[in-house]
Amino acid sequence: MRPVLLGAMSPESLMEELQASPSRALAARRLSELGMPTRKSEAYRYFEIDPLMEHDWDVLPVAPTGEIEETQRRIVITDGVVTALPADVEVQVGCSDAIDLDGAHFDPLYYLGHLMSREVISLRFRKDTRVTIVHRYTRPAKLLAYRTAIYVDANVHVQIAERYEGEGACGALILSGHDAFVSRDATLTLVKDQTLRIGDYTPIFSHRIKVDSQASCCLHSFDFGAGSGLQLIKAELHEHARIDADHLLYAKDHARRGTVSQIVHIGQSSLSNQRAKNILAEKARGIFDALIKVEHTGKYTKAHQNSKAILLNDGAYMASKPQLEIYIDDLEASHGSTTGQLDEAQLFYLRSRGIARDEARKMLILAFANELIDALEDEVLREELHRSFEEAYWGVTSVTCMETCHGCEDLAAESAAK
Amino acid sequence: MSTVVMDIDNLHARIGGKEILKGLNLQLEEGKVHAIMGPNGAGKSTLSKAITGHYDIEVLNGEIRYKGQNIVDWEPEDRALEGIFLSFQNPVEIPGVNNAYFLRTAVNAKRKHLGLPELNAAEFLREMKKLVAELGMKPEMISRSLNEGFSGGEKKRNEILQMMMLQPDVIILDEIDSGLDIDALRAVSEGINKMKDGKRSFLVITHYSRILDYIEPDYIHVLKDGKIIKTAGPELVAELEEKGYGAIEEA
Ligand SMILES: Nc1ncnc2c1ncn2[C@@H]1O[C@H](COP(=O)(O)OP(=O)(O)O)[C@@H](O)[C@H]1O
Ligand SMILES: [Mg+2]
Repeated sequence: MRPVLLGAMSPESLMEELQASPSRALAARRLSELGMPTRKSEAYRYFEIDPLMEHDWDVLPVAPTGEIEETQRRIVITDGVVTALPADVEVQVGCSDAIDLDGAHFDPLYYLGHLMSREVISLRFRKDTRVTIVHRYTRPAKLLAYRTAIYVDANVHVQIAERYEGEGACGALILSGHDAFVSRDATLTLVKDQTLRIGDYTPIFSHRIKVDSQASCCLHSFDFGAGSGLQLIKAELHEHARIDADHLLYAKDHARRGTVSQIVHIGQSSLSNQRAKNILAEKARGIFDALIKVEHTGKYTKAHQNSKAILLNDGAYMASKPQLEIYIDDLEASHGSTTGQLDEAQLFYLRSRGIARDEARKMLILAFANELIDALEDEVLREELHRSFEEAYWGVTSVTCMETCHGCEDLAAESAAK
Repeated sequence: MSTVVMDIDNLHARIGGKEILKGLNLQLEEGKVHAIMGPNGAGKSTLSKAITGHYDIEVLNGEIRYKGQNIVDWEPEDRALEGIFLSFQNPVEIPGVNNAYFLRTAVNAKRKHLGLPELNAAEFLREMKKLVAELGMKPEMISRSLNEGFSGGEKKRNEILQMMMLQPDVIILDEIDSGLDIDALRAVSEGINKMKDGKRSFLVITHYSRILDYIEPDYIHVLKDGKIIKTAGPELVAELEEKGYGAIEEA
């Protein structure tokens, strides 16, 4: 299948060509309106999408759900199929009409993903939970499309950590993402470690997050390493809803990585806070193309957005485009974007104490990144991400406990007391 | 005759395209306290930057011989590892770098250079805590980000803490007394005086003589217009107080 050819099709032929379920008519109509992405599309202009759309893909059929292993806190989705699940998470696989598509998503591949996913993996959380979702990809050079839906019931607090294992899926294109529904007074914390290595698959994750009245969503995405990948996020905030979105990007080699997002304030007194930190090495290109839109119904909104980038080499590049689109006066909003090098004065200070240049650079880069890693409440995740970052940056991990905990201080206090 | 540990010979250096040091000569003797005095803008901080290898400085001519080697082209870290320490006039803030982690990295870099085993976190913290208490610093300074949000006095105490942990051979103190209240000044100078061991040399840079009531100098050098124009004993301090720098003529 060559995705580019779908661009010119009518909704009806799209449905037929992709053998989509009738419940996906909306997706076909929207895809046909938006057309397939090209390098001229808003959302994809900094990403090299053309070769991916022009390639003649062998589409990997998603197998029917088979045996599901029971686990403690891990959901495993292998090549688009649930293979492991904790007993207390309700899962439904199917293409129910209940999945209410976003009719106003900006990303055509959100709709393509839905049209190609004959079944959607729906996860419903009825009580407070912490789980890990492991997405496993094993088939090289295929196009795999699958979608997940996450329902967090009213008053329920859920933390989902997501990891990706794709060593076996070299050259694959993955079209995936969540439709997440955070009900009234609920919280969803989503922590995504999207590390990629050279030669890995290319993920295009297109999400839609609906945050209901007085609910909140914390999204922490960590894109480390090389390769290409994009996450596209559309979030809508209802009355008194809140989203905190942090994106930490460390990209090297010829990576093309980043975030394209739209946060829409629909309800009044809703709050958004988006922070991006980007570290670009070698010939990597980082993308932060983020729009905050405040509808005329979004009175007393607070919207803050900030992007900072450090370029470690001359060949590195950051495409940063924070934007505000506002239809009311009664709000508090700010946005800013900076791109620069490591601070010379800080570097000199460290070196003047005998710390070698490379070590001093590393300390400053970690310090820059740490703000977003340390923002994680879960200590275990914090340590995992410190490690993941160090591995991506340094090739090995050398996180010592003093950076992340106070155990040693206690130890020192004890031994001093003796 | 004392041994000369650092010999600065005809140093010409440029900063921001402008020649600031114009043929400076200075010899630091082992175990002695040298005070450099001079008006604002004379080039005192520029001298300290030239000695430590700051990126703003371009040395045009002359040598800085330290322990017998010309170090003008050395990397800053190599100068530090060989025992040169600068207490900065304005220490930078480094958010996100934990003070203890930073200092342990520095101490272990030095120990490695000397062929000593590295200190583990517990050993290191024991030592750091002791000195933090001696210097009258709040214990929380240990786990805070390096200099971030520190008051002027706290930053200077933190410089002295680093000096005490790193045990350098040549110590340059650039306006260590600026912004210090009397208690801080006393704590800081006690720390410095404790470091005197008859081997270590000090270069106390100041435009104001107050600090010299606490740290007794052996020599006073007057820096004006990019050169040392006069060198004398501590009696010169009183004369400078009285007559100001304007009256000092090139010897
Ligand atoms: N980074 C710089 N770029 C340009 N000029 C500088 C810079 N730093 C200092 N200078 C100038 O060099 C001269 C000496 O400065 P400095 O060494 O800081 O003086 P002092 O420490 O004696 O007060 C001053 O005229 C100052 O303006
Ligand atoms: Mg100065």
